[in-house]
Amino acid sequence: MDFSQVPVFSALVAARLCLALSPLPVDQVYKLANSPAVQEGVYLLQHGLDPYYEGAVRHSPLLLSLFSTVLPLTTLTAPLLWTACDAVSAWALVNIWRARLNVSHSSRDALVAASYLLNPYIVMPSLALSTSSYENALCLLALLFACRGQRSMSLLTFAFLVQLSLSTVHLVIPLMLLIVTGPVSRLASPQPLDTDKIKLLPPLAAEFILYSLFLTLAATISSGSCAWIEQSWMAPFLLPDLTPNTGLWWYYFTEMFDHFRPFFLMVFSVHLFIYVIPICLKFQHDILYGWYLLLGVFATFKSYPTLSDPGLFISMISVFPEVFPYLSYSVITGLLHLHASLLLPLFHSLWLTQGTGNANFFYASTLVFGMANGGVLLDSIRAGLRIAMGELKYDHDVVQE
Amino acid sequence: MRLLGRIGALLLLSLLCEAEQFAEDLTLRPLRDGKLAASFSFTTLLENATPRHPGSLEYDDDSQHYALFPLALGQVLREFAVTELHLTLNAGKWDYDRWGYPDEPGVGTGAELWAWMGDSAFISVDQRWKGLRNALAGLFCASLGSLDEQRTTSPILSFQPEGSLPNWTTPHQLRHATLPSEHVCTENLTPFLKLLPCKSRSGIATLLNPHKLFDADWHGMGVHVRYRQDIGVEVRLAFQAVIDPVRYSPERRREVSQILTCIYPDWSFLSIFDRVIERACPVADTSIIRVKLPTEASYAMTPTPTSIDADLATFLVDDAMKPLDIVMKWPGESAFSYPPRSMTRPLTHLSVRRALHGSNQYSAQLFISVKNNSPVQVRTGYLETMPWLLQFYLHTMHAHIDGVPRDDLVTLLSYTAPVPHARPTLLQAVLTLPPESTLQLTLDVSKPFLRYTEHPPDAQRGWDLPPAIFVPFSFENISQEDWDPRNTAWTLLERPTRIYTPVLLVDPATPDFSMPYNVIILSCTLIALIFGSVFNYLTRTFVVVHVGEDSH
Repeated sequence: MDFSQVPVFSALVAARLCLALSPLPVDQVYKLANSPAVQEGVYLLQHGLDPYYEGAVRHSPLLLSLFSTVLPLTTLTAPLLWTACDAVSAWALVNIWRARLNVSHSSRDALVAASYLLNPYIVMPSLALSTSSYENALCLLALLFACRGQRSMSLLTFAFLVQLSLSTVHLVIPLMLLIVTGPVSRLASPQPLDTDKIKLLPPLAAEFILYSLFLTLAATISSGSCAWIEQSWMAPFLLPDLTPNTGLWWYYFTEMFDHFRPFFLMVFSVHLFIYVIPICLKFQHDILYGWYLLLGVFATFKSYPTLSDPGLFISMISVFPEVFPYLSYSVITGLLHLHASLLLPLFHSLWLTQGTGNANFFYASTLVFGMANGGVLLDSIRAGLRIAMGELKYDHDVVQE
Repeated sequence: MRLLGRIGALLLLSLLCEAEQFAEDLTLRPLRDGKLAASFSFTTLLENATPRHPGSLEYDDDSQHYALFPLALGQVLREFAVTELHLTLNAGKWDYDRWGYPDEPGVGTGAELWAWMGDSAFISVDQRWKGLRNALAGLFCASLGSLDEQRTTSPILSFQPEGSLPNWTTPHQLRHATLPSEHVCTENLTPFLKLLPCKSRSGIATLLNPHKLFDADWHGMGVHVRYRQDIGVEVRLAFQAVIDPVRYSPERRREVSQILTCIYPDWSFLSIFDRVIERACPVADTSIIRVKLPTEASYAMTPTPTSIDADLATFLVDDAMKPLDIVMKWPGESAFSYPPRSMTRPLTHLSVRRALHGSNQYSAQLFISVKNNSPVQVRTGYLETMPWLLQFYLHTMHAHIDGVPRDDLVTLLSYTAPVPHARPTLLQAVLTLPPESTLQLTLDVSKPFLRYTEHPPDAQRGWDLPPAIFVPFSFENISQEDWDPRNTAWTLLERPTRIYTPVLLVDPATPDFSMPYNVIILSCTLIALIFGSVFNYLTRTFVVVHVGEDSH
């Protein structure tokens, strides 16, 4: 690590820690995959009750085992743990950026770290002790190891991430491609993927399946039964809990007619995974950028999103400064995000705390938030493709065929 | 000859059938606040009968012949092989502090149904439970069909069988469900009266006048079926009411006593039931009215009781005394005034309050205050059977006495968290209450968000939550180690009485009920917009075109 960046990084982490330890009122809207549920799970586990049969815990048994044995959750340790988690994530993001440039340090390191540690979408859920901070950390670590070519570490970290949230399993395809192709930016000069590298994928997939089986077994042993699979893994697909969040699923399935519910659950789940293969094909020359786009897709369309998901998506754009000149409506998406981030807590409070608004207000603001995320996603796709055209002469323009 | 033969066959049949006994009684108990507790009980005993063995469900049932035993109920019991059954339908809040323990312990607001059934490989207990509640719903015109698996639990520690369980090889299982929003009314009393051998035409049942009973401050009916070893199957139909004679007395007359806490207003059958007993029920073996007498006051009672035993006057209802109208008067009295509550000690061991604190629609705090009124340490069972409309955070459960944390006084016995849309919470705990102290229990809860089809028609009103149940079972100083929750030492102590808390109201957040199509359209538009644009970029390639003037 370049030591010139250490003071900036430390200052950011220290500021983050002060924020975590200060008694800030964090609005309920950020407490989605919230810590009371984890604490409840830990409590049940410590009292000899099965958190997945006698309790209604939706977190992975591995997370519960971690918090019930190694890392106790108290009012003092929890902010430290979550701050450390954010620091690790930021460190990983900085190193992904360095790996992409293939340098040991750069002048933009502090900027990249700040884009993560100062992103309000990241800070708020982390202050609310949401477990999505851990998912972000695992995701960035898996990417970092993949960028560095440490395939086993990368696949193992990713297997942990899949334990926490099964719906990320489809990202294993771009992860394996990233391991074999490397993170260096080739957006401006797209080359088809060398077919020899495809042959390297099956062993990687086998290794991932092996890790996943091992971790699943460990989770089953630690929880004592297979009940956690339905409670924890199936929840994003069956949507048993309709608590309002920033995503598009909860109100849709609150208002859905009972006889169409299974059909639309299937449609929404399949829709989430439709994007993976096309984006991998289109961005086969720069799969890290494809990863970034898929994070955007998941942040917009996943069933139980927290603010961390769009937060990770937006922070990660700092790794791709080369596309900035080609972002054509960043002002509009920026304003949409500003609009949504003000409306979401306001309407949540009006509906559920003040009792003066109704559910439609909050639903409307989640639609705005969805548009904001979709806008960033579309602009990023366009910019990532447009960059290959390079600078144009004054009487030329780029159109689609 | 043919007629004689038929009569002979009938006689033979009646000899072969089990003997049946019918007993009716009414207990009237003046209460401290001027009210009058009336407790009707109609007991039919089918001698030497046994409950149907669930193993015999795969074969056709033996034919049943009843003379007094209610056929409609008997058929339900046989069809689902029910060993013990308790159904109560109550309205109002039983005030334990002022009224004491009720004669019938089941006084929880709304409907409560619990049954002990033998296990069977042929038809499972759950299938029979479903059939049973639907059959009873039809029989009593109550919404008991809503007592589905979202409300069914098995809290065996608080609901031990009141009779005996036959010694079958298969074990018995308990099913219990409550529906606090169910209101008892005339349409439930009419089928109830139909189960009585004399209906309401004669005997004590004449007094069951719906106009007066459903006007009472508290009223409730119950059906209790139990098996008594070597005696038979007993059906007890019970009706309980707390009547306010002051309200019916135009002069608001009362008795002035030396002690302010003991004042009783005048009453008579005619004033409180608007009926008198014209004739006795001819098939009743016993028909008794008991009136609890005040100990220190001077009163005038007509007619003269058949017997007086200590503070209990007994009347035998027979045709010699018709028409029977018991009148209780206190001579020399002026207008009635209610005793101040602060001057009276509660009549029960425990005084329980339960409330839901918090104003927002996604979380709240359950607050329970249990006051031990007795000078000895009391241990009490605490049972919550909460639908998934309220989800507990058990790690936030804390007990305080006078602001001092005393989590050691709470012993958790079993806990089953709710499954949304499927299963209720079952929380069984033991609280140890030091003498004359108040234990305050707090528990954070979250309110779930319901699908729009799950909300009741008047969604903004909220949902009634079932009462919590306290069972004080030990009045001595027994150390924690002496008591193992797994063996049923609970019942070895004297039979405990259940104390029901009042029901609660929870208001989960409501969606907009007019929005289904709008939400489907708006969400799908957004998804289609992003999906279409993404695939537009992914499938069509960018090309550079010349747009200058010389392009033509």
